[in-house]
Amino acid sequence: MRERSGTPNFREVGRERNYGRQFESTSCSLETLRGSSALYSAGTMLKGMTRLISRAHKLDRGRFLHTGTQTPQTIAAHLDNPAPVESPRAISRTSESDPAKHGEQQEGQHYNIPHQDLKTVFPHGLPPRFVMQVKTFNEACLMVRKPALELLHYLKNTNFAHPAVRYILYGEKGTGKTLSLCHVVHFCAKQDWLILHVPDAHRWVKNCRDLLQSTYNKQRLDQPLEASTWLKNFRTSNERFLSQIKVQEKYVWNKRESTEKGSPLGDVVEQGITRVRNATDAVGIVLKELRRQSSCGIFHLLVAVDGVNALWGRTTLKREDKSPIAPEELAFIYNLRKMVKNDWNGGAIVLTLSQTGSLFKPRTAYMPQELLGEEGFNALDPFIPILVSNYNPKEFQSCIQYYLENNWLQHEKAHTEGGMKELLFLSNANPGQLERLCAYL
Amino acid sequence: MAAPSVKAVRGWSGLALGVRGVVLRLPGLTQVRWSRYGPEFQDPQTDKEYYRKPTAQLTEEEKYERELRKTRFIKAAPATKTSSVFEDPVVSKFTNMMMKGGNKVLARHLMTQTLETVKRKQFEKYHAASAKEQATIERNPYTIFHQALKNCEPVIGLVSILKSGRFYQVPVPLADRRRRFLAMKWMITECREKKHRRMLMPEKLSHELLQAFHNQGPVVKRKRDMHKMAEANRALAHYRWW
Repeated sequence: MRERSGTPNFREVGRERNYGRQFESTSCSLETLRGSSALYSAGTMLKGMTRLISRAHKLDRGRFLHTGTQTPQTIAAHLDNPAPVESPRAISRTSESDPAKHGEQQEGQHYNIPHQDLKTVFPHGLPPRFVMQVKTFNEACLMVRKPALELLHYLKNTNFAHPAVRYILYGEKGTGKTLSLCHVVHFCAKQDWLILHVPDAHRWVKNCRDLLQSTYNKQRLDQPLEASTWLKNFRTSNERFLSQIKVQEKYVWNKRESTEKGSPLGDVVEQGITRVRNATDAVGIVLKELRRQSSCGIFHLLVAVDGVNALWGRTTLKREDKSPIAPEELAFIYNLRKMVKNDWNGGAIVLTLSQTGSLFKPRTAYMPQELLGEEGFNALDPFIPILVSNYNPKEFQSCIQYYLENNWLQHEKAHTEGGMKELLFLSNANPGQLERLCAYL
Repeated sequence: MAAPSVKAVRGWSGLALGVRGVVLRLPGLTQVRWSRYGPEFQDPQTDKEYYRKPTAQLTEEEKYERELRKTRFIKAAPATKTSSVFEDPVVSKFTNMMMKGGNKVLARHLMTQTLETVKRKQFEKYHAASAKEQATIERNPYTIFHQALKNCEPVIGLVSILKSGRFYQVPVPLADRRRRFLAMKWMITECREKKHRRMLMPEKLSHELLQAFHNQGPVVKRKRDMHKMAEANRALAHYRWW
């Protein structure tokens, strides 16, 4: 239940340091992109991780409320230096619903995503528990946090002439990597980028019912159901681009159907949705065309993949003769790997590592090296790592305030100081654990 | 469980304090549920507020009680009893009754999921209702749980009494703990047996709890049937001798 806290063991610290060193050697080539800010922030984040865990336990008894209203006893003591008393609402919510305007001021505050945006931008991207929360509260509020703000800063300063930069969000289980990714996707959608969002790459390497032999390449395998659902969601989120982008090659589906050169990309997507057999090939074509045309400047491309460690892990899928299937034998994974390479320009690649859906990886693994393995790490190197950690005290307060405003914490003891201290202790300020705890209180 | 512990105690003759040796035995009756602690052992006090009260605020009785506790033996607190502010003995008992094969993790998970489901259903109703109705909708899953079980408690029960070769169902007043037990037992049995094969326990249990909260549903019906039977067998009441 409780997240494992405490000082990181030497193995982890050693890997962190090695990782920092490796990153230093590649930073000179990326110097032009963003200066040394990323290296500095990577370094501080690696150090900050150990500090954040101990900070949560240094809270003073009388001053549990970090930035909010002071208790009557302490107000008398602080009459000499009056601190500005902010209302609780000021901590937990902000009225700025455009991610482009989010900055240091909105850190720790929740911003509202309008329902219209939810339908178009996130037909499939949000984690299932968050979807339940949206349904219960009738509103989608996302917390603005440091890792997302950092990513937004980098994306605002992308140089589209340079090859696409890869950003990897990594962190322990339940710290908010997927929701940070969703924040970034919302920003890019608002900035009119083309969003290529793979919500959970693990869903493609396990529990697939039908696997067909690919028509394009006999060695590879197709996944018709997953591909067709993905194409439907892709179409919902990128309607306006599908008529603008034209295909640059002729594609023959079978004896009777083919897509001519110069026809809009929407045709390929329609073909994939209606003819489920060719759905995976349609996805491959979409990825190829987008990669080719992203440098032309008509659109900016954002490739957002959640759980990218699935692309280089193992699968639990088997052929009819019970022999295991490697990920590269799946056509979708093969094409997605090409997409995640940084040989194209005109956009950015934001990735998330996830142990939650991963196969054959221990629960405590969260570092890029552990989850990606040798092959994956070498394929993704060089990338910018962004650590997503547990809530700091201000964010924790903000989250609790948000739940209190929505009357989510119904237990009478949850409103008391003792109750909040216990919530902090039980969840260790881990966002995922806190959400699960508050769900039944 | 009792037999090995008896053997162990015999070996510790020096530590045979407060452990029950020979208990009063009635012919034909064996004690099934009994504790190895003697009567002088006191229950553990896990309430933090009890210890935080400053000495000046204690009454004479409380001071005496504190002094007494210093001299008495205290039973070991079970692993499930915590000093958490969110602890609820009724919820713990219900979880224990739902548990099968010692799988407390699963039972607790089901319980928390049930409370969450109840909360979400009530929130949905709240958002769909008008302003006037919103005041009447209860959203606290714990109040709903407690009220539902209270509504399921029978007031009077039936006991099989053997008289002149026949068993008669005799109406009998029930102790508080028996009533609470019956309410929980009926609720759990109902949810386990009368549900669709693919329906999950939290879903079914939350549905039954909400129905019992409004005094409807099969568990409250069973309580009312019990009352009716007791009423019908009113004449046999004098078969009871206690």
